[in-house]
Amino acid sequence: MSLNFYRRVAFGLSPHEKPDKDPLNWAINQLDTIPDLLWPGTIPTEKDLRKKYGEWVYGDREVLRKKFKNDKHAYRKAKDELRIKTGERYFELNEHAIRHFQTKYSKQPVFERFWLFWGNHFAISEKDFLAEFSTGPYQREIIRPNMVKTFEDMVQSVTTSWCMIHHLDNSESFGPNSKKGMEWGETINENHARELLELHTVSPNAGYTQEDVIQLAYIMTGWAHKWDRKNLETGDIWFDQEMHQKGDKIVLGVKYKNDAKRELAKVIHDLATHPICIKFVSTKLCRHFITDEPTDEMINPVIEAWNKSDGNLIEIHKAVITQAYKYNENTHKFHLPEIWLMQLSRMFDLNIPLSFEKMNYTFKSKPNNRQRQLSWILREIGHSPYRAKQPNGWSDLEVDWVSPELLLRRFWFASVELPMLVKSGNRSHGFILSCLKNNFEDHENMASLIDNFKFGTSDYDLGQKYGVICNLPGVLKI
Amino acid sequence: MNCTRRNFLIGGSTTLFLSGYFPKISFASMQKKNLIIISLRGGMDGLTAIPVIGDKRLKKLRKKLILEDVLNLNSDFGLHPKLEIFHKLWQKNQAAFVHATNIPYTGRSHFDGQNLMETGAHIPYKEKTGWLGRGLLASNIIGKGLAISLPMPLLLRGVPQNNNFFPSPDFVETKLIDQIYNEFKGEHNELIKSTLDTIRQRPLSMQIATDSDDRKKLALEAAKQLKDQSGPRVAVFDLDGFDTHAAQGGVDGAHADELEEVNKIVTILHENLGQAFDNTLILTLTEFGRTIKQNGGYGTEHGYGSAILMAGGLLKKSQVYTDWPGLKKKELFEGRDLNSTIDSRAVYNSAMSICFNQDPEFLRKEVFWGDELPDLSQELFKI
Repeated sequence: MSLNFYRRVAFGLSPHEKPDKDPLNWAINQLDTIPDLLWPGTIPTEKDLRKKYGEWVYGDREVLRKKFKNDKHAYRKAKDELRIKTGERYFELNEHAIRHFQTKYSKQPVFERFWLFWGNHFAISEKDFLAEFSTGPYQREIIRPNMVKTFEDMVQSVTTSWCMIHHLDNSESFGPNSKKGMEWGETINENHARELLELHTVSPNAGYTQEDVIQLAYIMTGWAHKWDRKNLETGDIWFDQEMHQKGDKIVLGVKYKNDAKRELAKVIHDLATHPICIKFVSTKLCRHFITDEPTDEMINPVIEAWNKSDGNLIEIHKAVITQAYKYNENTHKFHLPEIWLMQLSRMFDLNIPLSFEKMNYTFKSKPNNRQRQLSWILREIGHSPYRAKQPNGWSDLEVDWVSPELLLRRFWFASVELPMLVKSGNRSHGFILSCLKNNFEDHENMASLIDNFKFGTSDYDLGQKYGVICNLPGVLKI
Repeated sequence: MNCTRRNFLIGGSTTLFLSGYFPKISFASMQKKNLIIISLRGGMDGLTAIPVIGDKRLKKLRKKLILEDVLNLNSDFGLHPKLEIFHKLWQKNQAAFVHATNIPYTGRSHFDGQNLMETGAHIPYKEKTGWLGRGLLASNIIGKGLAISLPMPLLLRGVPQNNNFFPSPDFVETKLIDQIYNEFKGEHNELIKSTLDTIRQRPLSMQIATDSDDRKKLALEAAKQLKDQSGPRVAVFDLDGFDTHAAQGGVDGAHADELEEVNKIVTILHENLGQAFDNTLILTLTEFGRTIKQNGGYGTEHGYGSAILMAGGLLKKSQVYTDWPGLKKKELFEGRDLNSTIDSRAVYNSAMSICFNQDPEFLRKEVFWGDELPDLSQELFKI
């Protein structure tokens, strides 16, 4: 088995790890339990961060905008101060640190790859201040615990999470015949219903109609944040009967009797166990771990495992890894920038993320450049993870990631930034050679490409070496 | 102005919905024509950029947002003072505006709206390619798109081999590419290899490192590339910050700052395109306009109808082209927004037909699914 399997399903091997005698077992054994988050620094709860979110929007919208309505300069200054005070500029950086610390040091790196996958399947795209305050804790507290349960469990949790409801506007969706809908002349907002069908479960392959979207939106009415004057839209999610559309609903030919808050769980059950949903999500999993255009032959065993286990994600993950192992030698998969960065960090033991002591924040001034570094790098290589532009998340296709500037950014990172992240004990040529040997069959060929610089240990020399190594076809992709 | 809907068409003609004309290929059209789109994300306020003059109702609803001294366009419309270059070009018949226009999207979500302004579709997220990309592909113009941004914008997707320019903070030694180029073997490495080719064939001026937050430098380079007869034919700029819920202000407010950015880009393009400016069209694109009424923070909320700012030598004449819907409460969309009486996609479709030498009917079918989009080429552009 090629060493590239460790990069196909994980992040490669760190200098302290050795290839396992049985790589398939090594990978499969990582999927039964949820590894602890290892970050030794602060890991705030979703609820705490939502409170901060509330302080920020309340302060801006209800206080500053009114106070400085005639003075854009004073307004901007006061707003900047509020950003600092509420951590608006900081929490996303901390989340990136938690995330990258995990993928770098986790003893279950294969589990972590699935964590990234599901975070992107149930993507929160860039909207309002979700990236700043909410997407990180959503992925930690909603996605992660469900990874040892069923797919249906995950859809239930995601669909009623504050983050997703805010992201897809379900709090603005009123049943037109509900008490509030009639009183206020409001109607449904279809966003969440459409994405639940299209992106999260059955996909357009199920052939649903606009009427199905409307009916599902009716079922979802009432699932909203609890609004109040102080917390505005950041209150907890509850079911507001007075927003809920009365009457029976029909989605994809199935009738759901008028049953208030219980309707949603029923329809999610049907969607999450729908054969087309199973095929759609299995295909996405295979696309992520095997190749951009997976064949039925690759996908079918995953579908079988899904059916056999009633959607148990542990079993599904194991089937995906088994397929990835089986097809490892003759398929190729391009790695998105963030995964590439995580792999370089693990394989070459780079100095990212910053130590937790240095990530400490006092809420008194802007985060410093070192604290911003990792997030800045992610942005510059084109893959700031919580800032996908659309609710369908980041594309998993090579064709969407290969543009002149996006490739140049990889050369930039590897040749200019990376040398500054090499630990002082790791600057020798021998260190690079040993990392290559640990991770690549053709390490000798790779080494020959940087032989000219074998005596160099300056930042420039390291840049020349890593600039070449990190952009070789076998590193950009499997 | 207190005119009401449909009692006149400024600069328009009665052939608006009857046009069946399409351009002949002449010698002049052999000259490369450039189409430049500037995306204004956040919702550009058409009434701030191109204010109606003397509308009492607007004055009443926007007490704190009325501009003190607008640049004069005609008896009905003025121009925001920060849009100086447009005023200068207006004198030479090289600036024009379409007013009370928008994509056919009446929801008020930035995300859905921006998706639709790029795909040109009716349902958010349904289409995965942009109208400009589809237009290029249908016209068989491949490898001629230039995005001034890091990701390839959705607007340009749908046609292969686009270039983008958004330099990294430091210089990248392209000799690194030479060292590994031959390692990209086999079919599965073709895409990367051909992209590396694109990089290697870049002119030196595109290999510089620069501050990509500095739009001036980017615009300067874009102009250089567009000027080149064998260079790109399409360029896409991305600006954001138009979502001014607070302190929107008048001559000097937050919206003015954003318009100033547009002004900067167009100024640089105009100065540096030289003769090529005569064969260029620059058009803005936004997801929606803003509410008529100012809000409690002296800003505005998400609305509907907006305006398109246009510049370039391919414009027919200086004009504010509109089918003005009026600003009385019953004339507003849902009683709160400037209405849209012209589907902005008709303007973009017509602009593509001019710049790509294509029959607008053909493009309408290939790009916009045969949607009812009148050909405005005769009214707006030099044919």
